[in-house]
Amino acid sequence: MEAYPIGSLNPGRGDEDMVEFNVLGFLIDWSTFFAIYAILAISLNLEIGYTGMANFGKVAFYAIGAYLSAVLTIVTFLTIFGVSAPLYSVDAVIALGKHGAELPWLNIGLFILSIILSAIVTGVVGYLVTYPTLRVGPAFLGITILSFGEMLRFFLRNYEPLGSTYGLFGVPHPFQWVPDPTVRTGIYALIVLGIMFGVYLYAERLVNSPFGRVLRAIKDDEVAALCLGKHVPRIKATVLFIGSAIAGVAGALYLFYLGSVNPDMFIPRVTFDIWAMVILGGMGNNKGAIAGAAIITFVDRALTFITPSLGLTAYITPDYIRWMTVGLLIVLVLLFKPGGLIPEKPIKTPALEVANKIEEG
Amino acid sequence: MVGVTEVYNTLWIGLIFMVLGLPLTLSYRTTGIINFVHINFITIGAYVGVLLSLLGVKNIFMVALVAFIVGAAIAVFDNIAVFKPLSRRGANVVILMVASLGLWIFYKYFLYAIVDLIGKAVKENLVSVILELDILPTINLGGIVVDGKFLTTLTLAVIVVLFYYLVLTKTSIGKAIRAVSDNSQLAEISGIPRDHVVNFMWAMTGGAAAIGGLLWGIFAIVTPEVGDWLILEIFAVAVIGGLSSLLNTAIGAFIIAGAENIVMAALHETFGLPLSFRPFITFLVLVIVILVKPPLGAGGGLPYRFFKPRKR
Repeated sequence: MEAYPIGSLNPGRGDEDMVEFNVLGFLIDWSTFFAIYAILAISLNLEIGYTGMANFGKVAFYAIGAYLSAVLTIVTFLTIFGVSAPLYSVDAVIALGKHGAELPWLNIGLFILSIILSAIVTGVVGYLVTYPTLRVGPAFLGITILSFGEMLRFFLRNYEPLGSTYGLFGVPHPFQWVPDPTVRTGIYALIVLGIMFGVYLYAERLVNSPFGRVLRAIKDDEVAALCLGKHVPRIKATVLFIGSAIAGVAGALYLFYLGSVNPDMFIPRVTFDIWAMVILGGMGNNKGAIAGAAIITFVDRALTFITPSLGLTAYITPDYIRWMTVGLLIVLVLLFKPGGLIPEKPIKTPALEVANKIEEG
Repeated sequence: MVGVTEVYNTLWIGLIFMVLGLPLTLSYRTTGIINFVHINFITIGAYVGVLLSLLGVKNIFMVALVAFIVGAAIAVFDNIAVFKPLSRRGANVVILMVASLGLWIFYKYFLYAIVDLIGKAVKENLVSVILELDILPTINLGGIVVDGKFLTTLTLAVIVVLFYYLVLTKTSIGKAIRAVSDNSQLAEISGIPRDHVVNFMWAMTGGAAAIGGLLWGIFAIVTPEVGDWLILEIFAVAVIGGLSSLLNTAIGAFIIAGAENIVMAALHETFGLPLSFRPFITFLVLVIVILVKPPLGAGGGLPYRFFKPRKR
């Protein structure tokens, strides 16, 4: 592209082209991130918004999903194409790059298999990790999972076969065989949005079922729910199974979007982001969780596109401002608008719908 | 083999964990809040030392006093601005905990920004600092050399614990704090000004934790992450104390310190476990304590028991 002299009054055709391209790229990038974070926010909302469990270690299950999918995909590719090299080695990355686009059905099959396996494995891990703490109150659950996440990251950083601090690279995109990268990422964004919608429908069905009413009862008064014969710890464990499984799916989707994974993507800040989304959008409302995810990922992505041109970096690192804002946002929303943007609504039961119909005449 | 060094470190780290764990137990017991800002008190206490030594104030007791005041001010501010309004509105423990989480993130990156700015202004790296303060001198007790750093830690830890002991048992405000922590409504009915008492308690909490942070800064290096590294240990210490008993918390501090030094060294010796796997042992201790001797009814939990309880 030609460079225009500073102060030129003629913006020219080139600029418009560039703006147009950026908008499409930005939209695809943003909608993928938005959908992944919305899935995470919905899963956290099931736990905190509907059941009242403070899960401060969401990122652990996200990480397990991503790593599991990476290992599965890379190992399968290396076995099929007969490359014997460690998963993280340069040889493996070269082989993956060479053969990544040869068998479309293998890519897609592995994508689907990864999602299913991630869901099952993270669900089981979530169940096992939280089992000891469910009986002693929400505070311990939070602390234990928070430390579990940090310890998992620590383990991954030090575990050689999974690439230690460098992580795993070159995971083939499920649509590697589509030549045009914009089309490829576009299709992927649509699929992720579709999965997000599916998760949303599932969560809505779940919380409006009799099981969902038990969840709200547990949130409002655990002892009362227990007295009415609900096995509170088992129900909590079930919700953590579901929530962790959904987070695992999000991890798999994130991996296939980036194509690489390393332990430092899964720092506790990611969890705090998801918390900020759920609290901003409104706890106990899946639409709210999605709205919160949309707002925060939009601001975040927009800032990553804009920040370099602001020239603030000489004085202060923009990251610090961004994270201070996240913390402040959580506190301020809790203080001044505890319901969030879209507050909790009554549960839709068949009886309520009939009653409304009669009322309307 | 497990030698003198491990025992020495256990004692040293145990003292620091005690200074850090006692306030957490006290604040939890009085208000029912699992306070994540505790992590910031640690970091801020350590950085008070760094900033004061930049200004030329190097007397350890002076620095400790300033750290106490800064930590206390932040703790009281948190209570007045966030925790009190929230609990007035009837927020449950989970919401209070999430609010403290938000404050934690805010303070952490606020500190990062300040350290960054000051570091650029004085053209020094303040992101990982070795504290250089005027500490007590190294003494030689008939052949046994006692490090000045350890002596300083011991002195300050004893001062903090004595302060806690005297305030909580000998003064009327200490009695009021204990009354509020046992049953805040009954305390209020008997004419105890609950808000003042709780504010005083927060000041004690924040101040002592900041001194603990300063001690950790003397022991190790100071970075804005220093509090975050200690989350697991401090909470494990408090959980061993059942989040209610100060004495058990003090014992827990030495248990965790022992697990991280003596047990770790023994495992390293026998099984060749890398020394960097320390946090895993602490985590294991935490999970075992929660399974075997859960802090009953703490954290808003149900009175479930895995084993038959002892009669009181």
